[in-house]
Amino acid sequence: MEAVQLTGMRDVIGEILIELGKEISDLVVITADVGKPTRVYNFGQKFPDRYYNVGIAEQHMIDFAAGLASAGALPIVAAFAMFILRAWEQIRNTVARMNLNVKIVATHAGYSDHADGSSHQALEDIAVMRVIPHVNVVVPADIADIRRSFRAIVAEVRGPVYYRIGRDYAPPITEDHNYEFTLGRAYTLRDGHDVTIIGAGPILYEALIAAEMLKKMGVSASVINLLSIKPIDVDTIEKTARATGRIVTIEEHVIYGGIGSAVAEVIAERYPVPMRFIGAKTFGRSAKSVRELLDYFNINSKAIVKTCLEVIKYGDRRA
Amino acid sequence: MKVDASPILKNIGEELNQIQNIAINARKNLVLMHRCDKHIHMASSLSSIDIIAALLTKYIKRDANPLNKDWFILSKGHAAPALYAVLTEIGVIPKDELIKINSINSILQNHPDVDSPGVDMATGSLGQGLSFAIGIATWIKYRNGRGRVFVLIGDGEQDEGQIWEAITHAATLKLNNLIVIVDWNCSQLDDVTEIVKPKYYLPFVWSAIGWRVLWCDGHDVISIVSTINEALESNRPTVIFAKTIHNHGVDLNSDSLSQAVEEPIDGGSTINRNA
Repeated sequence: MEAVQLTGMRDVIGEILIELGKEISDLVVITADVGKPTRVYNFGQKFPDRYYNVGIAEQHMIDFAAGLASAGALPIVAAFAMFILRAWEQIRNTVARMNLNVKIVATHAGYSDHADGSSHQALEDIAVMRVIPHVNVVVPADIADIRRSFRAIVAEVRGPVYYRIGRDYAPPITEDHNYEFTLGRAYTLRDGHDVTIIGAGPILYEALIAAEMLKKMGVSASVINLLSIKPIDVDTIEKTARATGRIVTIEEHVIYGGIGSAVAEVIAERYPVPMRFIGAKTFGRSAKSVRELLDYFNINSKAIVKTCLEVIKYGDRRA
Repeated sequence: MKVDASPILKNIGEELNQIQNIAINARKNLVLMHRCDKHIHMASSLSSIDIIAALLTKYIKRDANPLNKDWFILSKGHAAPALYAVLTEIGVIPKDELIKINSINSILQNHPDVDSPGVDMATGSLGQGLSFAIGIATWIKYRNGRGRVFVLIGDGEQDEGQIWEAITHAATLKLNNLIVIVDWNCSQLDDVTEIVKPKYYLPFVWSAIGWRVLWCDGHDVISIVSTINEALESNRPTVIFAKTIHNHGVDLNSDSLSQAVEEPIDGGSTINRNA
C-alpha cells in the first residue's frame, strides 16, 4: 500500500530553498543539468543570477561550489546521489580538506528512483561519504524531518554536509513528533524494552509498522531515527543498547559501511549487544514502485519482524 | 611636445630586475630544499618558478577581503616547493622554514595546504584548481570585487576530464577576471607528453570553446609580464600557454625527466619515488 502523500521530498527542498534565498543574499544553488528533477530549477527561476547550471559535469560542480564558498558565497549543490559519487574525490580533496561550507543535497538516493534501475540507485553513498573527515551526513526520514532540519543545516551548520533525500516516496514517519533538529542527535520515535530498531530515511516507515506488528506478538520494540549519521549520537545509541539489549538496523543502502556499520562501531566500543543488519546486499533494479523494490530485496517490515524475533533469542544484555 | 620616457622605462626595468632576482633566489631556495628532502618535485617546480615569481611579485595583491584580493591557485600542486621558494623571497614564509619541508612538524608539505601561509587552495590532486578558480572568479564578479584569479596548471594535467568541464563552463560565464597559465613543460610523470598523450591540439580546443589564447616564454620575465599584461586587457577568460623546460636553470645531474633524484635501478634508469 502506497502511503498517502501530497508532495515528494525533492519538492520540499525546492520550496525551502526559495524561502532561504530570500533571507540569505549569499545563498547560491548549483546543479549539473538536473535542476528540474531535483526541483532547484524553481530557485533558478526566482533568483537567476544566483543559480548555476554547470551542465553534466559533477566533478566541476563540486569544485566550482568550493570556489564560491571560499570567496564568501553559501553554495547549495543539488544533484542525484549516484552522480555526486563521481565527484567523491573532489569532495574529499577540495571541499573536505579545506573544510568549506558547501551543502550537498543528494536526491534520488536509495531505491527512490525505482524506474531507472541500478545505474541510478545510490546504495553506497552513506558509506563513502561518512569516511571523509569534516563531512557531516544527514538523512531525513520524511517531509517533516526535512522541514525541521534543512533550514538549520543551511543557516546554522558550518562546514560540509551531505544531505541525502529520496525522490517522491515519502511516507509520513515523524509528523507526530515535535523535536527540533540538532546535528549529532538521534531521535526516539517509539520506546520499547525488548529490541531497538535503528534506521534513517523513508525506510523507517517499515520500522514503525514492524514495531506495531511486534507489539501484537508481545515484543516491545524501540525505534530510533538516526537522522544525523555523522556526527553520530553515541549516547542515545549506548542508552538504547543498555535498555533493550539487542539492535536491528535498517537502511535503504548496502549493509556494508552504512547505517548499520556506523551503529556497530558505537556499540562495539560502548556496550556490545547482539546486532542484525537489514539492507541492500547488491545493486538495485528497475521496478514499478519503491515498495515493490523493498519487498523484492527483503528490506521491509516483515524482514524486520523476523529479524527482531531472531535477535531476541540471543542472550539478554539489558543493563 | 617633448616626452621623456626614461623614468617609465627605468621603473619597468627595475620591476623586471626585481622579478628576475626573486626568481634567481627562489631557485637557490629550491636547491636548498632539495638538499634537505629528496622527495620534492624539482623538475616541475623548476619549470614553474619564473611564472610564479612574476605572478607573486608583480600581480598578486593580498587583501583581507576575499572579493578584493588576487588569488593564486597552484592547480599543479606538486610544484608547491616553487611556491614556497617564491613566498620566502617576498617575505610571506620565513626562510628557516624551507629546510624543514616535509618534516612532521613543518608548516610546508609536499603539496599545498591552506594551513601554510600564502596558499589559497589545497591542491595535489590534478584537474581541480581551475574549477575552484572559476567559482571564486564568479563570486567576485557577481559582487563587483576587484580581485583577479590566476591559475597555474600543467600540460599533463589537461588529461583530466574535469579540465574540459571547467573550460567549457568558464567560457559561458564570460569571466574576464580569470587568467590561466599553462606550464607547457612537455613532460608528465611517466614520460614526455608526446609519448604519454600528445597535446598539440589543446590551444585550438581552448580557442574554439571561446577562450582568448596567448603564448609566452615561461622562463623569460619580459615575455611572461608582457603577456600577462595583455591578458588582463580582456573581456573574456584568457589562457596563456607558457613554454617551459622541466628542471630549467639547475643542473641536478640526474635523469632529466624524473620528478626527483632517485637511487638508480637496473643500470641507471630511475624510478619515481614521489609517485
